[in-house]
Amino acid sequence: MGPPPVVTGISPKEGPPGTRVTIRGEFLGTTATDLIGLKICGCECLLSAEWKSKNKIVARSGPCKGRGDIIVTTKSGGEGTSTVQFRGYHESIGPVKESAVWVEEAAPPSLPWGRRPMSPTAYTPPDPLGLSTEGDDCKFPEEELHELFPDSSGKLCDENFQPGWYLLEHHSNTSFEDLKAGMVFLQRKVEGQKEGQLSFLKANTGAVMDQLDRLVLLKNMYEDDQRKNGKEPLPSLQAAIEESITLADSLFSEILSRKENADKTREALSLLTRHKFLFQLPASIDKNIRKKEYDLVVNDYTRVKNLFGNTDVKLFQKILDEIDKKIEDLKENLHTRMKTMPINVQEQTKYIRLLISLNWEGDAAWIAITTRKDYLMNLLIKVKDHFKQKEEQELGDKSRRKAKEGEGEGSWSAVRAGACAAASGALAAELHALWPLARRYFAGELAGAPADPQRHADLKEMITSAVQLFSTHVRACVLSGGAAAGADTLRARLLANLRSLREAYESLLKLDLPSQPLSVVEKIIFDYRVHGMTVFLQRAHKRVKGLVDKETWKIQEFSEYGAITDLPHLLETYLIDALSSIHKCVFTSGRRETALLIEGSEPLNILQKHTQQILLAFVSVLQELALQHDDQDFNNTSLSVALDQPLVAGGAGGAGGAGGAGEARARSWQQRLLIAAANAAYARRVTLPRVAAAFDSFEFPTPVLALQTTKDALSNLESSIAETYLEHKGDPLVGTIEPSMYMGRHKIDPDAIVDDARPYVYEIINNLIAVHAEVDSICGAACSRYVSDICETVCEEVSRLVASAPPPARAPAFRARLEATLLRLATAAHLTRKAENYLAETIASIPPLETEEEKKRMDTLIQDFKKRMELQLASLNCNMETV
Amino acid sequence: MFSAITYELSSKFLEEHKCTRLLGSAMSKKPAAQPTLHKVIMVGSGGVGKSALTLQFMYDEFVEDYEPTKADSYRKKVVLDGEEVQIDILDTAGQEDYAAIRDNYFRSGEGFLCVFSITEPESFDATQEFREQILRVKNDENIPFLLVGNKSDLGDKRRVPLDACRERAQLWQVPYVETSAKTRDNVDKVFFDLMREIRSRKSDDSRATNGDVKRTKRRKIKCNIL
Repeated sequence: MGPPPVVTGISPKEGPPGTRVTIRGEFLGTTATDLIGLKICGCECLLSAEWKSKNKIVARSGPCKGRGDIIVTTKSGGEGTSTVQFRGYHESIGPVKESAVWVEEAAPPSLPWGRRPMSPTAYTPPDPLGLSTEGDDCKFPEEELHELFPDSSGKLCDENFQPGWYLLEHHSNTSFEDLKAGMVFLQRKVEGQKEGQLSFLKANTGAVMDQLDRLVLLKNMYEDDQRKNGKEPLPSLQAAIEESITLADSLFSEILSRKENADKTREALSLLTRHKFLFQLPASIDKNIRKKEYDLVVNDYTRVKNLFGNTDVKLFQKILDEIDKKIEDLKENLHTRMKTMPINVQEQTKYIRLLISLNWEGDAAWIAITTRKDYLMNLLIKVKDHFKQKEEQELGDKSRRKAKEGEGEGSWSAVRAGACAAASGALAAELHALWPLARRYFAGELAGAPADPQRHADLKEMITSAVQLFSTHVRACVLSGGAAAGADTLRARLLANLRSLREAYESLLKLDLPSQPLSVVEKIIFDYRVHGMTVFLQRAHKRVKGLVDKETWKIQEFSEYGAITDLPHLLETYLIDALSSIHKCVFTSGRRETALLIEGSEPLNILQKHTQQILLAFVSVLQELALQHDDQDFNNTSLSVALDQPLVAGGAGGAGGAGGAGEARARSWQQRLLIAAANAAYARRVTLPRVAAAFDSFEFPTPVLALQTTKDALSNLESSIAETYLEHKGDPLVGTIEPSMYMGRHKIDPDAIVDDARPYVYEIINNLIAVHAEVDSICGAACSRYVSDICETVCEEVSRLVASAPPPARAPAFRARLEATLLRLATAAHLTRKAENYLAETIASIPPLETEEEKKRMDTLIQDFKKRMELQLASLNCNMETV
Repeated sequence: MFSAITYELSSKFLEEHKCTRLLGSAMSKKPAAQPTLHKVIMVGSGGVGKSALTLQFMYDEFVEDYEPTKADSYRKKVVLDGEEVQIDILDTAGQEDYAAIRDNYFRSGEGFLCVFSITEPESFDATQEFREQILRVKNDENIPFLLVGNKSDLGDKRRVPLDACRERAQLWQVPYVETSAKTRDNVDKVFFDLMREIRSRKSDDSRATNGDVKRTKRRKIKCNIL
């Protein structure tokens, strides 16, 4: 227990109730809570006490009067003491006295008839000294009076009256002369009272007599009255009074009732004006709802709830009920509006805020989000259905109109493109609305209840499912098969679809969506790009395949690999076309898209595979073209035709550079064979590197494998063509040798003079010339291969024939030697080593010339032959260029 | 005039009363219930630092913010030259608004600290009026009185020359002390000096009373008649 509190200072030391008093002292409490009691002049003032420090408390004085101690009580020190005192006094406030509080100036409500109760305590006897106390402002300090006259009082009527007190209190400023006068006055009064009744009567005889007369008169009148009204005058009086009361009542009742009504009306009116707001609220709510000023409604509603929420007044409650009903309707309305799609985000947000501020019981924002999601889903489905219907309708129309073109454009139709664009637009737009809404919802900006953590997952689920749906639809719409349209449409549609997809993707990117939905969209775009690429390649493939029908056999150019047609160029054009389309349309990646052709990726494989397919298709086209020969044609071709035809055709081919299509079509299949071979060679040597270069120029990886495979296939094709050609060309030629060798003059006279070679030699030479001409016209510089091959077989055959029948006689031997020599001479330019060997062997097997004469004759014959056959030999040894 | 007489009378009564009480207690050899009380009154113009001096003396506290005083009362026990006494300080209002009620307060005072601010010549001028009023109310030329020049810490803002102050103190035959309520410079000194004066004055009075009992009696009788 600490020391008890001691109050040693008070500021101010006096004042009316409510004075702010600063109390100072010691041990006035260690904390604010330590202070548990404060009495000023016996009035508890703890409520207003403000503990400042252990030396200081500020409080307001209570309704005390007079002097008193200031007693502070603390928990730690108990009840304290005070060395100073506070004096409370009540300030009388009047019209001339300044006052801090406003005083009601109107007279207090007076009782009827102006009866004012006179309090006996308020009665102050007049000054016994008969002195005026006016202007006696200077009061003598009361405490000093108490000190001077303990146990006394200054009141005249009190038992312990002290004259000194009275004088000091009332006349401290009165001059001594005045006091003396007052003394005289008082003495006179006392004297007057002392003199006794007799003298009083003497002095007032007349008045006393008069009083007596009056009394007698009064008595007489009273008796008269009694006689007149009987012993009890009161009943009649009462009756009269009652009558007058009823009369008065009846007189005034009407007026009073009217006044009452008026009062009531006034009251009602004032009530109405005072609560105008409340009464007009239902109407104003309706009005504002009509005007869509929902904010005002909400404000009003909040205000009215604050003002009248707890009212007990029936009328107010009724109106409040009405308002509540309206608000409920409004909530319902807002809810419906919020859920009614389409709606923009701002508006929806507004509705959400309104609903929240109206204390709507649901989670408005979440509902809005789910609604939006449902709407998006529906929208996507609707888009799909709509376009499907449209497509079907269109298809129906088309098939009715042109049954043949019923195929339609499939995935490339304008309708599909529209569907794709619409779906993309819908997705982008709705997610644009949904996502910020959701974000604000989770950020708590929509002022709703803190979001359930489960909802995050839900939202993600929602968005993902929406995007999935979108992707499924777009896939179904765009990626499903369908006949390829024209290149331009194809490209345009592809680009348009890609653009709309990319726009959607772009906008989703901007939204900062989670990566999962984004990747779904990205996958679509990627797949679509791959699809586009595949389509282009397939198209090229198809076109290359169609080249079979396109071959006109019109020689377009004489390259160093022989005469070629359009085919290799067309192949190149188609491929480059496809590649450039791919490059233009799908190769470039958008923002945050995977590059199309990454090393080892699926698209690259597809590209390679398709390139290979295309090139192989070309090879197969060439093969088909070369080896597809109408058997009919060939079978019908007799030997002579087979031999003659090349001459004719060769001539035509010679002029064929400017020849018409009809001419070209008339080409024999041997020529075609040769042209195909030339094409293959050209394709292998020129086109393939160009294709590779094209790949490079489009920055695609070069399909090495495909090129190599194609190269191999082409060389195979070339050799197989060469074989075929030889087979078909050399065989008949060789076959003619034997019959014509033994034809007619085979068995000649052994001694006869041989003056010329047998015709079969000329035939061989002619045939060779024909073949040479044909090959040369087609293959140009490359012709030697074919011709020498044929020469080889010819030489082999001749050698075989000569060897099989060695000439016994001189003449045949001479002739054989001559023939072999001539043959060797003629085919010198085309002889391979093997053929050379054959001929040499043949010559060696023939017995040599015996005589000079014979030798001379041989020389002559050879010279003669040379001279005669100059043109033939020249034509055999020259080629197109030299001609 | 009359009031002065009555007051004189009453104070005499009081002293007599006290003397008898003191005598009684002394005779009964009991320790005094209450130590001697010295009533000090602070006078001076508004804002010169009367309350600041008082609070510094009472509670060792310097109050920065100015709040005009109406009438504050402080009382505590102090040891004056080895004797325990009580000092009662009446801190009055400096403002002219309260001039009318000053008379009443002054009557009860036994000693006066007349304070002015050395930075404010007007407050110095006003000491003249206070002095006159006190002399009029107390009707005693030798009433314990100290002229106090406060705010001595604000030496650089001094506007009342020290000579003028000393001159006036000389004229009134009172001590002059410069104080600072802020630094507590001379604060205890003024109060203790004043109390010593009051004490010596009281002992003079009581000796005079004891020495001339008859006169007192005569006066008392006279009063009773009245």
